[in-house]
Amino acid sequence: MKTATATRRQLTWARRRRAVAKFWGDYRQNRAGLFGLAVLAVFVLSALLVPWIVGEDALSVTRPAGEPLQPPSGEFWLGTDRSGRSVLDLILWGSRVSLTVGFAATLISIAVGSLIGILAGHFHGWLSGLLLRVTDWFLVMPTLVLAVALAAVLGRSLSTIVIAIGVTSWPTTARLVRAQTLAVEARPYIERARALGGGHWHVMTRHVLPNVMPIVLAQTTLMVAGAILTESTVAFLGLGDPTVPSWGSTIQAARDTGAVSSGLWWYILPPGIAIALVALAFTLCGRAIEGVLNPRLRNR
Amino acid sequence: MFHTNHRGRGLRTMLAGLLITLLACATTLFAGTGAHAETKDEKTLTIAVSQEVDSLSPFLAVRRLTTALGRLSYDFLTNYDPKTGKTIPALAESWTTSPDGLTWTYKIRDTKWTDGTPITAEDARWTFDTMMKDEAAATANGNFVENFESVSAPDPRTLEVKLKAPQATMLALDVPILPKHKWEKAGDFAKFNNDKEFPIVGSGPWVISAYEVNQSITLTPNKDFWRGAPKFDKLVFRYIDDSDAQVEALKAGEVDFVSGLTPAQAKALDSAKDITVNKAKGKRFQAITLNPGARLQDGTTFGDGNKALQDPVVREALVRTIDREAIYKTAYGGFGEANGGYIPSRYKDYHWQPEGDAVIGFDTAKAGQMLDAAGYAKGSDGIRAKGGLKLSFRFNVHADNPQYIQAAEMMREWAKEAGIELKVEPVSEVGALLDAGTYDILTTGWSVNPDPDYILGINRCSGLPAKAGGPYLSDAYYCNPEYDKLYAAQLAELDPPKRAEIVKQMQEKLYEDNIFVVWGYADQLEAFRSDVIASMTPQPDPGGNYDSQDGYWSWWSAKPVGDEDKAAADSGGTSSGLVLGGGAVVLAALAAGFVLLRRRGGSAADDRE
Repeated sequence: MKTATATRRQLTWARRRRAVAKFWGDYRQNRAGLFGLAVLAVFVLSALLVPWIVGEDALSVTRPAGEPLQPPSGEFWLGTDRSGRSVLDLILWGSRVSLTVGFAATLISIAVGSLIGILAGHFHGWLSGLLLRVTDWFLVMPTLVLAVALAAVLGRSLSTIVIAIGVTSWPTTARLVRAQTLAVEARPYIERARALGGGHWHVMTRHVLPNVMPIVLAQTTLMVAGAILTESTVAFLGLGDPTVPSWGSTIQAARDTGAVSSGLWWYILPPGIAIALVALAFTLCGRAIEGVLNPRLRNR
Repeated sequence: MFHTNHRGRGLRTMLAGLLITLLACATTLFAGTGAHAETKDEKTLTIAVSQEVDSLSPFLAVRRLTTALGRLSYDFLTNYDPKTGKTIPALAESWTTSPDGLTWTYKIRDTKWTDGTPITAEDARWTFDTMMKDEAAATANGNFVENFESVSAPDPRTLEVKLKAPQATMLALDVPILPKHKWEKAGDFAKFNNDKEFPIVGSGPWVISAYEVNQSITLTPNKDFWRGAPKFDKLVFRYIDDSDAQVEALKAGEVDFVSGLTPAQAKALDSAKDITVNKAKGKRFQAITLNPGARLQDGTTFGDGNKALQDPVVREALVRTIDREAIYKTAYGGFGEANGGYIPSRYKDYHWQPEGDAVIGFDTAKAGQMLDAAGYAKGSDGIRAKGGLKLSFRFNVHADNPQYIQAAEMMREWAKEAGIELKVEPVSEVGALLDAGTYDILTTGWSVNPDPDYILGINRCSGLPAKAGGPYLSDAYYCNPEYDKLYAAQLAELDPPKRAEIVKQMQEKLYEDNIFVVWGYADQLEAFRSDVIASMTPQPDPGGNYDSQDGYWSWWSAKPVGDEDKAAADSGGTSSGLVLGGGAVVLAALAAGFVLLRRRGGSAADDRE
C-alpha cells in the first residue's frame, strides 16, 4: 500500500516535470516572452540585492550624497533628486516597493478571484447567483476612487494601496475562472469522478483547480503590471507614504519640484521609464504564457 | 477559452505605463492653448492664479486672491507706504485722536464711487456699523471692530470712532469701505456674494467688470481714481491650476505674471528670455505647532495628543533636533531665511530673533542628553520612553505643500538620532484634526501683515475655542497669561517704539515655550514678462513682492512696455515686399532662434557646474 502511494506520487511528479519541460520548450519559442522574462529577472534581482549594492544610507535626506537637483554625471548616472540623493538609487529602492505592491495586490486578487470563480462555477443555483452579483458589484468599483477613500480612512500607507488594488481587481479573475470551471466540469471525466463518489471538495481541488491554474498564471502576470501601475498612480496622486521611495512617489516629488517646467528630465523620466519597462515585461510574459496555453494564438 | 479583451487590456496597461510620465507633461502643454484675445492697442496684464474664489463680498472673503481683489476694487481708510511701510492717507485724508486714545476722527476724501455717487463718511460708518451688528458681516474682518464702542458720521466728511479701550491698529484698519447705497439692500450678508451685478461699484484703482467661475476675473481701470488711473487697460486673473502649466503659460506669453514658483522653477526661469524673476523676502513664516494639550477656554481638555509634549523638556529637545538652516538650504533651494522669530524679518520694527544663549539651536546630542537627564531612556527599538509615555509622535503635514513634506522627512531623520520617532502623515487639511485635538505635531504657516496685531492676537487664551468643535483661529492651543498681558499692553500702547518693544517680548515668550516653533521665512518667488510689464512697485520697495501685497501698488503702478515708444512703432513698416520678404524673415528668425536656444542651453549647463 505504502509503495503503491509512493509510486503514484512519483508518477504524478514525473508527469508534472514533463509538462513543465514542454511548457518551457514552448515558451522559449516566444522571443518577446524571453525578453520580458530577462527584464523581469534584472528588476527582481536588483530589488532583492539593493540593500547590499546601494545600502540604506542612500535614502537619507539629511545626509545626501550630492547637492540637490544635479544633472547626470559620472558620479550620479541619473542625477540627483530635490534632497541631493541619487535618482538611480531611488529607482533601485523604489523597485522593491513597486514589485512588492504589485505581487501582494495580485496575490490577494488571484486568491479571492479563484476561490469565488471556482465556487460560482461549481455550484449552481442561489449560491452561484449571489456570488456573481457580488462579483458584478465589485467589477464596477473604480480602483482609484476606492484607493482615495481608503487612504482617507486607513491613512496613507502601502498596505492601504495593496488592499485597494486587491479588493477591486479580483472580479475579472473570478469571471475568467468561473468560465473555465464551467468548461472543465462539462467534461465527461468529471461526471465519472462524481459517479465514483467524488464529492464537491474532491472535484474542485483535484480536477478543477489544476485545470484552471494555467489561466490563473496568465492572469497573474498580466495583473501585476496593472497593480504596479495603479500603485504608481496612487503614489503620484500623493496618497502613498512620502517617506518610502516608490516610483510613483518619485514622479510626484519631481512634479512638486516643478521638474516639467524646469527641464529636470533626469528626475521625472527614469521612474516613468522603469514603470513602463516592468509593466511591459510582465505583459510580454503574460502573453507568452497565454500563447503556450492556447494553441490557437500560437501561430499568429 | 481566453477572452480576447483581456489581451487587449494587457496592451493597454503597457501603454498606460508609458503614459504615466507623459501625463505629467501633458497637463502642462494643454493648459497654454487659450487664445490671446487682445487688440493691438489694448494693453492687458494677465496674472495666473490657482486659488478659487470664496466670495467677492469683502465681508466674507478671507482667501489671498479675494482679499487682494478687495484691495484693488475698494479703497481703505489708510494704506501703507511701499517705501517706508508707514501709514499713509487713502480714503481718509487725515486723522486725529483724543488724548485718551479713545476717540478717533477721520476726514474722508472728497471723491466718487465708480458709478458717480459721491463717497461720504456715511458709507464708512455704515460699513463698520454693519460689521459690529451683523455677525455675518464680521466674518472676514471682525477683529478690527471688536473693540469699537460706536461709529458715527456727524457730517459727510467726518467719521468718528469711539473705542472701549485704546487700540493700536486704528491706522491699520484693513477693511474695504463699501458703498452703502448698493449694499444696504443686499439682504442676508452670509449669503450675499456680490457676484451678480457687474461692473461691481467700488472705489479702488480697478473695477471688477467680469467674473467667470474658475475661468477668469477681469478688471478694468477706474479712470477717475484719485491717486491716478492704472496704466494697463485691463487686468485679468486667469485660472491655471497646475504650477508647471503656469510657468509654461508664462514662457509662451499666455500670462504675464506667475507667483508661487518652486525654487527649481525660479532657477530655470532666471535664464529665460524676456522673463524677470523676483525673489522677495517672505511675509509668511513656516512653522510647526506641538500639541501642548488641546483645551477649551474653561480648561476642559480634549483630544488625544501625546502627553509627553506637555513636558517642556521634551518640547525643547524636539526643537533642538530641527536644523532650520538645512531646511531652507535644501527644501527651499536656498530661497529663504532660517529664523526662529515669529514676525518675519522684513518687518524690521517688530521682528525679534533669539541671540546668544537664548538660541534653541540644532544639536541632536544635546537633545539626547536633555532627555537622558529627564529620565527618558531609549528602548530596544531606539525610541525613548518614560513611565509608559513613548516619544513617538504623529506629524501631520499639509500634503499639498512639497516643501513641508521635504522638511518633515528631514526632521524625521534628525529626531530619530535623538531617539524620538516622528511618524510623517500627510493630510489634505488639518482643520478637523485641530478641532478634535487629535494631533501631536502640525505644520503651519501664516501671512503677517505690516501691523502685527492680528498674528499676535490669535495665540491669546481668549482665542481658545469656547465650546468643543467651536471656531478656533490659531493652530497651537497656546495659552500663556503673561503673553496675554503683554498683548493687552501692546494694543493700548500708542507710542510705536514702545509698542515694538512689547511685541518683541511677546515673541520671546512664544519662542521660549516651544509650542509655536517657527522655522523661518521662505522667499516669495514670482516671475513676470519683462516684454509686457516695464515696471511696477514692489512692497516693500525695494526687495518686496508684487503678488498679494498689503496695498494695490503693484497692479496700480504697473507700466506696459512700449508706452514710451508707441509713436515710433506706429510709423514703421509698409506692406510692399512684405510677402516676399516674409519667407526669408521666417527662415532667419528660425536660424537665430536655433542659435539662441543652443547658446542658452550652453549657458545653463555652465551655470549648473
